[in-house]
Amino acid sequence: MNLKRRNGSRAIAALVLFSVVQISFQIGFAEPNDTTTATPVLQQVVARLTTRNNQPITVNGISAATGATILTGATIETGADQSATVNLGPLGSLDIAANTKVVLTYDDQGNVKVLVLAGCAVLTAKKDTKGEVATDQGSSEKNDPAAGGVLRLCNPPAPPSTTPASGTNGGLFGLGTAATVAIFTAGGLAALTPLFFQDNPSGSTP
Amino acid sequence: MRLAVAILAIAVCLFLMQASARVGFSRLFARYALIANSLEAADEAVRLTPSDPEAQRARATVLSRLQQPAEAVKALEAATRLRYRDDLLWIDLGNAREEVGDTQGALAAFDQAVRWAPHYAHTHWQRGNLLLRMGRGADAFAELRSAVAANRGYLPNLIDLAWGISREDVNVAEQLIGVRNDADRLALIRFLARRGKGKETVAQMRLLSAPLSKPQKDEVVYLLFSAKDFKDAFEVWSSSPARTAALFNGGFEESQILNEPGLGGWVRSREQNKTSMAIDVAEKFGGTKSLQVSFDGEWNPGTPLLSQTVLIEPSKTYRVSFSVKTKDLVTGGPPLLTVSDATNGQLLGKSESFPSTNSWLTLSFEFTTLATSEAAVIRLQRNNCDPAPCPIFGVIWLDEINLS
Repeated sequence: MNLKRRNGSRAIAALVLFSVVQISFQIGFAEPNDTTTATPVLQQVVARLTTRNNQPITVNGISAATGATILTGATIETGADQSATVNLGPLGSLDIAANTKVVLTYDDQGNVKVLVLAGCAVLTAKKDTKGEVATDQGSSEKNDPAAGGVLRLCNPPAPPSTTPASGTNGGLFGLGTAATVAIFTAGGLAALTPLFFQDNPSGSTP
Repeated sequence: MRLAVAILAIAVCLFLMQASARVGFSRLFARYALIANSLEAADEAVRLTPSDPEAQRARATVLSRLQQPAEAVKALEAATRLRYRDDLLWIDLGNAREEVGDTQGALAAFDQAVRWAPHYAHTHWQRGNLLLRMGRGADAFAELRSAVAANRGYLPNLIDLAWGISREDVNVAEQLIGVRNDADRLALIRFLARRGKGKETVAQMRLLSAPLSKPQKDEVVYLLFSAKDFKDAFEVWSSSPARTAALFNGGFEESQILNEPGLGGWVRSREQNKTSMAIDVAEKFGGTKSLQVSFDGEWNPGTPLLSQTVLIEPSKTYRVSFSVKTKDLVTGGPPLLTVSDATNGQLLGKSESFPSTNSWLTLSFEFTTLATSEAAVIRLQRNNCDPAPCPIFGVIWLDEINLS
């Protein structure tokens, strides 16, 4: 009886092993072949996009968000409440304001050109970068490559900046963030006070 | 005994209340920190719940906005330690590390993102983009293709990247994309047509295993036409190489008028949809029909009423002839036909203004195309008149418009 049972177990084990091998083979064969042959990819400078709050913007008519690669010749467009920064690595960076459309071209010779079709853009060129910001209306700004520099341009030109109204310190009701945090903290502590065991809830002063 | 249990229960309740309050306030601070870019609020959120990854994440976001990427990396590292299976946290960490120039660290973070969400596209997409920037093109495109396999919504982005990286070499781009079927190829065809790459579009269309459906073909024609690649748009539209000028439906024998810009007929301007137009079988100069246009006052001068884009050859002189009849036409800016270059809009020629005549009159004019001309637009429009407004009343009939 024991011998029969042992033989049965062996047979079942062999069957299970065979099945597992079969399944492995079939999965292996079913795996899709990557028919894409190795294609040499040309080395070139590539930039990186960062969008505010990771909101998607439009690059070459297609949605793109933080982490996207920006190639030379890209048309970048932001909508309302959207802004973006393109990190050009050794060349510098480009900040794009809301409601802006630019065409960005650059090369590995240190040339960066930003054509502002609408809105505002700021090009921060690093040293040895020949930066240019231009509009399709003909106005343009260039930097001194030896010094780098910051180039700002709006299309149409931005009105003169106005002094911020007083009391706009941010935070709750314009109180400033530190004051707001203090208020929240005080509120939180007040709410938590009954939770702590105290000898005299009235405090130490009369 | 009962008293002890009650006290214990009350203590547990109070502890839970305090813990809930801490979490609640922490979240409140974190939310406020993100709205107000307040590092103090973010710090307070972390102080209240140091083991809450969301508080760390909010702090990292604020630090990043305040241009303190190194500190943001530390906060995100703390967050990933607290919730190591969160692929989005790993992606945030990868991006933050790349921001400070730590590409190897970024890659390690994206590896973790892919590890914890291997079937999602965004993790592969982020990793692929980083590899591309690291100069590992082959690995990058393999990863980007994985993203597309998980979510076809990334296909246009992949095509755009491949096109740019290949420096507009369609064969290299095709290999980088890994076109496997007609659906992939159709996406590539749309991309090429939108860019006005007519030759490449037609070549890709020939590689399809099944011909495009009528709506798909119309879409490709429209994209090429919008990109001002008129000859190739015509080739796709007519399925034959087009090199001769042709004006369609010049006698208005077909009643179809197009509503969208395109080839093969007259297009009615959207802005002038209040003007009444009809195919008239009673009045005609030749054939069996003509076009009747009735004016009740409105027609903005300078805006065409009707237009047709026709293929032409460069540096060549053409003659446009047509027959016109008017009835009770009263206006300071009478209608006329104009021809302009389809690519740059330059006026090439125009007819004399339509005269007031109760019988058919045949008019003609010549124009010479530019050296770069591919197509021209024939328009029915009107002269400007001073002062505005410039109403127009009456009826005109047009027939037998010919280009030779």
